[in-house]
Amino acid sequence: MRALDKKLFRDVWRMRVHALGVALVLGCGLSVMVMAVGMRGSMERTRAAYYAERHMADLAVSAVRAPERIANVLAQAPGVETIETRISGIALLDLSGVSEPPSARLVSLPIEGRPRVNDLTLARGRWPDAARADEILLSQAFADANNLGLSDTLNATIHGRRQTLRIVGIANSPEFVFVAAPGELFRQAKRFGVIWMNREALARAYDLDGAFNDAVFLLGRHANQSETIAAIDRILEPYGGVGAYGRDRMVSDRFLSEELRQLSTMAIFLPALFLITAAFLVNIALGRVIATERSNIGLLKAFGYSNTAVAWHYAKSALIFAAIGAFIGSAAGIALGRSVADLYRDYYHFPALEFSASPATFIGAWAAGLAAALTGCVFSVLKAARLSPAEALTPPRPTTFFSAGPSLSRFEASLDAKSRIILRRIVRFPRRAGTTALGVAFAIALLVVARTMPAEMDYLLDVNFGVANRQDVTLTFTEARDSAVLHQVERLAGVLYAEPFRLDDVILRHNGRSVNEAVFGVPEQARLSQIVGARQRVMAPPASGIALARALAEKLGAELGDEIRLEQTRGRRISTNVRVTAIVEPMIGSSAYMEIAALSRLMREPGRVSGAHLRMDTARYAAFDRQIKQIPGIAGVSFVGQAETAMRSEFEQGVGVMNLIYAAFAAIMAGGVAFSAARITLAEQERDLATLRVLGFTRLEVSYILVGELMALALIAIPAGLALGALLSIWLMQLFQTDMYAFPFVFNPAGYAFAVAFTLGCVAVAALVVRSSIDKLDMIAVLKARD
Amino acid sequence: MTNAAPSHQSAPLFALRGICRTYGEGETAVRALIDVDLDISGGELIVLLGPSGSGKSTLLNILGGLDRPSSGAIHFRGAPLTGQSEHALTHYRRRHVGFIFQFYNLIPSLTARENVDLVGEITDDPLDAAEALELVGLGQRLDHFPSQLSGGEQQRVAVARAIAKRPAVLLCDEPTGALDVKTGVRVLEALQEVNERYGSTTLIVTHNADVARMGARVIRFGDGRVRSVETNTARVPPSALVW
Ligand SMILES: Nc1ncnc2c1ncn2[C@@H]1O[C@H](COP(=O)(O)OP(=O)(O)O)[C@@H](O)[C@H]1O
Ligand SMILES: [Mg+2]
Repeated sequence: MRALDKKLFRDVWRMRVHALGVALVLGCGLSVMVMAVGMRGSMERTRAAYYAERHMADLAVSAVRAPERIANVLAQAPGVETIETRISGIALLDLSGVSEPPSARLVSLPIEGRPRVNDLTLARGRWPDAARADEILLSQAFADANNLGLSDTLNATIHGRRQTLRIVGIANSPEFVFVAAPGELFRQAKRFGVIWMNREALARAYDLDGAFNDAVFLLGRHANQSETIAAIDRILEPYGGVGAYGRDRMVSDRFLSEELRQLSTMAIFLPALFLITAAFLVNIALGRVIATERSNIGLLKAFGYSNTAVAWHYAKSALIFAAIGAFIGSAAGIALGRSVADLYRDYYHFPALEFSASPATFIGAWAAGLAAALTGCVFSVLKAARLSPAEALTPPRPTTFFSAGPSLSRFEASLDAKSRIILRRIVRFPRRAGTTALGVAFAIALLVVARTMPAEMDYLLDVNFGVANRQDVTLTFTEARDSAVLHQVERLAGVLYAEPFRLDDVILRHNGRSVNEAVFGVPEQARLSQIVGARQRVMAPPASGIALARALAEKLGAELGDEIRLEQTRGRRISTNVRVTAIVEPMIGSSAYMEIAALSRLMREPGRVSGAHLRMDTARYAAFDRQIKQIPGIAGVSFVGQAETAMRSEFEQGVGVMNLIYAAFAAIMAGGVAFSAARITLAEQERDLATLRVLGFTRLEVSYILVGELMALALIAIPAGLALGALLSIWLMQLFQTDMYAFPFVFNPAGYAFAVAFTLGCVAVAALVVRSSIDKLDMIAVLKARD
Repeated sequence: MTNAAPSHQSAPLFALRGICRTYGEGETAVRALIDVDLDISGGELIVLLGPSGSGKSTLLNILGGLDRPSSGAIHFRGAPLTGQSEHALTHYRRRHVGFIFQFYNLIPSLTARENVDLVGEITDDPLDAAEALELVGLGQRLDHFPSQLSGGEQQRVAVARAIAKRPAVLLCDEPTGALDVKTGVRVLEALQEVNERYGSTTLIVTHNADVARMGARVIRFGDGRVRSVETNTARVPPSALVW
């Protein structure tokens, strides 16, 4: 080994604490990068393979009742390659031991053979026998969540009629990777599942013999999707077609795309913070080395090493740091990726999801790590290169200090001498002070972000369940009923109060744009399901006209006072104009709202309601449950209160893990910079601190100079960290925002306080660890040697 | 373990009995001090003279509470200094001892005045920093940082810093070791001035026989032992010293 290389390894060994700090910080960033980029790629590949293998639909449509012969017409539509017609519905299930019945989407299986579009994979069991009406396949997530297995039976209420279904297989479908009940935006594996069953049995139940109400399509390679949609819509128009849509509106695929988008965001945002911090850490560590190596640099140059050779020699130590960081990052990234893949596999039931990061992902991560380290070392290395040998061989000029400057002199004068030492060092070494403050600020920002996201979620749930959906139970009728039915409902066991609602599926049109959405009819004095207005406050329904959710108004390009067109997609298919009289801000969904009487008049069904929200005596659920199953004409019972509990507990679990990971990241970030800074401060001031001890300063007083500097920098970093955290949170929540969710800024003081306290704690621990060397300062040695 | 007198008035400032200091163990042990007995009374200006390695610094460090003898006993104003805790020694230095080092050891981030103030902050009744600096002839350079002062000036700041707490004892280890004659003389003048004005017992360690001529007593060291103790009958002011 060349002498210089031996020296290199000695140098790195001497800097091992800093090297470890840099490598850990870099490792955190790169591991997230490898995990997120790799996971994104893995998910995308898995999804593509799954979709291709199981013929995931390109288009879907539902109709009220289309005769089966129309299938042939649809198959001839331009671009359509394959069509599968189906009968689809919702069933209320009766599980033993579950007092609030969950529900399931029903999808018919073809009379012969497997589905040509949206084919299934069997996880267990067998395909139903076409001759047996009661055999079904059940979705895996639901089966697992409810401990249902092969040959178990389910009692289902389908279109008001009770049937017993026998589970013969557990299956997954590309159509339902993510499953949510209609109108719900969260998955509740325990409360909502999918049942695939005999087509003829379903046709009988829904009175759809020789007809279908749902179709899915595969398109040809060169199909023009919007052309095909228009053709399908034209064909189905007389049969109550609701408008065909592509994958962008298929809930499951949309959700997956959203997940992929979040992985991309994560691949950028977290690594960026860590790489920047790592670059600064390299900068101060190498700056320190080169300062202490002055005379060596002089010698090397005097021996004839070129400036480039010297620069390269020092740059190599930064590259070694980066290589260690890249190694840690890659290994941790793979481990992280594998555990995330496990989570995703359990959650989505992909037939196969293996985490694998492509070579390009690793190369990209390493390149990013090297780039950060090189950027960090470039200043110090150039300084070493520029140092002339003669200059380098003379002892370094003592560090000159200066007063903090006129703006600070008043403040400075009010300090005691020890604090003044701290202040002057911060002012004298701004880059190093900046690095420490930056790392601490980043750590605070990370934690603010980590605490804001669940706070946003909490707020969303609070608004959803505290304002928009305060009911315990929602009953939906199979068709609109006269409001007198409310009296009957109120007599059911356990019902304390019933509030009617109306729900019409419509196409809203304005300025040539159209959107399929629901219009809710809300009573003037609603107490259970209320409209969420500005700043998430309760708003009464508009006396006349229609209120649009902001996202819906934006999609339509409609403003207050505009006249928009409503076309009912079910029932009488009324078509009418209505004026926009309010823009509202529900955090969830993007529906439209009207006063209930006005809406029913508009739809020419005065006095008719679609269902009722109920306030319940929860102790009497069981009795209520028994009665409700006997009543015909009930399409669905949704236990909203239960859903809230389930959702909150599911979120809390996820949040717990996330908080732990972020806390570890923040600890490494804040601890790493603080530790590095403390070591350098100590090394530089060892002689001064020992002198103070000789002069009679106690250990505590001397420690103050070391710990105080770090704490002062940490304090300076607090406002910056909080502000950065708030901005990052706003930015991230904006990225996560879709037309399904809107996230207003949520200020979460407890989260901010935690971020500050935790980070200061990390800095304090790092400072105290380094401080312990003050107890071992050699007072006699400093009297002898000149530094 | 000692027969030191119980009261302040009659007791010497320091009483050393049988002081030994050995570094290391066994074969390689270095006996830096061997059986040193010494009494030092208040207000004296003593020069410790001896070749390099003879144990002068070791003695000074022990007197200053920085080091502990391997055996023997020291009393300061009649109270034992040996066997004290680290905390008690810190307190002893803080209250009673002024140090002046060969390399000044000023805090680079503090001005001359602030370096002096620094000590004032841990003392009950300190001298005003400006006054202390005036005394060593640096009244004009109060707000200079150490890097802006010459070696001699820095050493005089160190003297001002040491006297600001009105110490009972000033311990100076080769105070002129890093200085040329002219500046060295000014530092010694300052020390003598302080000794006369405030009556601080002053111990100056040097290997320079010339410097010894300014001491009221001269203690010669050789190989860790006190070789001789002489009272100087012909004291010479520092300005008359040459080396
Ligand atoms: N920490 C130490 N470890 C080992 N030997 C030491 C140590 N300090 C001093 N010595 C030895 O003790 C002897 C006396 O040293 P010192 O008191 O510094 O002498 P002086 O100040 O007279 O030059 C010398 O031989 C020196 O090498
Ligand atoms: Mg010495």
